[in-house]
Amino acid sequence: MEVLDSGIGELFHVPDPDGHRAYLRENRSRALVEKVMTEQEAVSKFVSDGDYICYDCNMFMRGPSSLIREVIRQKKKELGIGGRFTYLPAILLASAGCANRIDIGYIGFGRILTQLQEKGVKFSEWSNSAITMRQLAGSLGIPFIPARFLGGTDAFRYSGAKLAKDPWTGKEVVLLPALNPDVGLVHVHQCDVYGNARIFGPSVSPVETVAASKKVIISTEEIIDNEYIRREPGKTTIPYYLVDAVVEAPFGAHPGEVAGVYVSDTEGIMEAAAACGDTSGAAMEQYLEKNIYSVASHQEYLEQRVGLEKLLSLKSRAKIKQGYS
Amino acid sequence: MTRASSFTEAEATVCTTAKMIKAEQDKSFWVGGGGTPLTSILLAQKHYVPNLTVVLEDGVIAPQPHIPLDPLMTFVSSKANYRAAAWTTMNTVCTHASLGLFDYGILESLQIDPYGNFNSSLLGGDYYHPGRRFGGAGGANEIASMCWRTILHTDQENRKFVKKVDFITSPGYLDGSPGARERAGLPAGSGPYRVITPEAVFGYDEETRYMKLLAISEWVEVNDVLEKMDFEPMVADKVERLEPPTEEELEVLRVYVDPRGQTIGSQKWINL
Repeated sequence: MEVLDSGIGELFHVPDPDGHRAYLRENRSRALVEKVMTEQEAVSKFVSDGDYICYDCNMFMRGPSSLIREVIRQKKKELGIGGRFTYLPAILLASAGCANRIDIGYIGFGRILTQLQEKGVKFSEWSNSAITMRQLAGSLGIPFIPARFLGGTDAFRYSGAKLAKDPWTGKEVVLLPALNPDVGLVHVHQCDVYGNARIFGPSVSPVETVAASKKVIISTEEIIDNEYIRREPGKTTIPYYLVDAVVEAPFGAHPGEVAGVYVSDTEGIMEAAAACGDTSGAAMEQYLEKNIYSVASHQEYLEQRVGLEKLLSLKSRAKIKQGYS
Repeated sequence: MTRASSFTEAEATVCTTAKMIKAEQDKSFWVGGGGTPLTSILLAQKHYVPNLTVVLEDGVIAPQPHIPLDPLMTFVSSKANYRAAAWTTMNTVCTHASLGLFDYGILESLQIDPYGNFNSSLLGGDYYHPGRRFGGAGGANEIASMCWRTILHTDQENRKFVKKVDFITSPGYLDGSPGARERAGLPAGSGPYRVITPEAVFGYDEETRYMKLLAISEWVEVNDVLEKMDFEPMVADKVERLEPPTEEELEVLRVYVDPRGQTIGSQKWINL
């Protein structure tokens, strides 16, 4: 196939389908085994310095907020981020010195993004769907996927995409390189002890994230018995052998919403947004200290930083329940 | 229907867009951006076209949002996703666009050039040392690439209408040459369609693909608009007058869609 043009953006992950297959064969259990562990154990075991991570969704909706906070608490270093449709997690990870490279689909909070780039965080430019399509390719075990967008722009220029001549139609088409993250972090509504997980509602790319990633941690609002999975197999979003660890994390998406369970904590979101908006960096330091470093676990965070009254209020204000069960 | 005489600039943009949506009510819309683009959709849905086919980036197909939406939660929230026909994922919506199922994309932007290429990534400097970064393409690139027509919102200011954008985040007609989009791998027949500001509506000349002024609001003349652009657009032989917001549209906006004025409460008021 004739390659006509290439983006000059650094590829923070180079496609390697056979490498990914070999990894999974060696490291991913196919047996139906229990995988429940604490967030501390899961992050310690499955997130290593230098890993490239993707998470679903973000800190506003059904995101693995408690896992992200644990990654920062354990001071993981030199992480890469697949930044599609994200606001807080990417900014917090980079601000805390955990992440040093970001594939940009959309990162809310531009001012602090500028500062992070000045401090040496590397960017490659994509778009939201460019990254989710890259994840799709990764989840299909193929090295790239053609696409009908991104071409002709500076987003293409500063990405790692290519433009090629399609061998069947002879027309130009963009090629997006596969993305197989080292780590996938996904928050779900329900999960059994083996990793069979259910997500209710729309999403960014949870199935692609999980299937494409080498090491997968699921945080779940509640652990349900495998019996319920067996009764309604159609509701399973993620089957167990795509998962390495299951962490029980009620209110695990806080300050974000989990549709049908609790609403987003506007106060908490505004506090985080203010931290991202303070160019001096002082508010961010305080935010990280208060919400991450000064508490030992998600449980302590909920008890000491959020409080029962707030949690009950978030739960009771979640009146929209249709479709989320 | 009563013509309103006092409204904000944002309300003008939103109402112009909602009228356009009404005129194309059997078409489909992919909206990106929680500000005036989404507000225009919500107004059109509440006031004109209850069964509007609209999709959101996170895979929500034809929602009937539970308005008003909460601050910062204009997307990916149970209120925005309410009573959709289907809940899918980002790739589903992307692939439906790729299939040619979406007629109009509605977006906003920082800068736009004469061929409709626009910028939401950075201003000043270069990619490695920008003056200032912004969020990035988000869904704008795929929306502008694959919807049949793109409608863009921006302000009528010189710094927004520039000869050359600092960064082409999303495609218009690229360098304006015939077939430029197709040579970049984008679907044939797709392209920018309208730019809407509070004061004007622009289209693109059929032969040259260059931006062309089509209509202006009641409170300005053509020169007022041209003065607030850093390039000179073509001007239609007959420049139409835009209808101002109606009192009915404003009531729906102010009571149901955006009672806190998050989007419509912009600084400048227009009094006719």
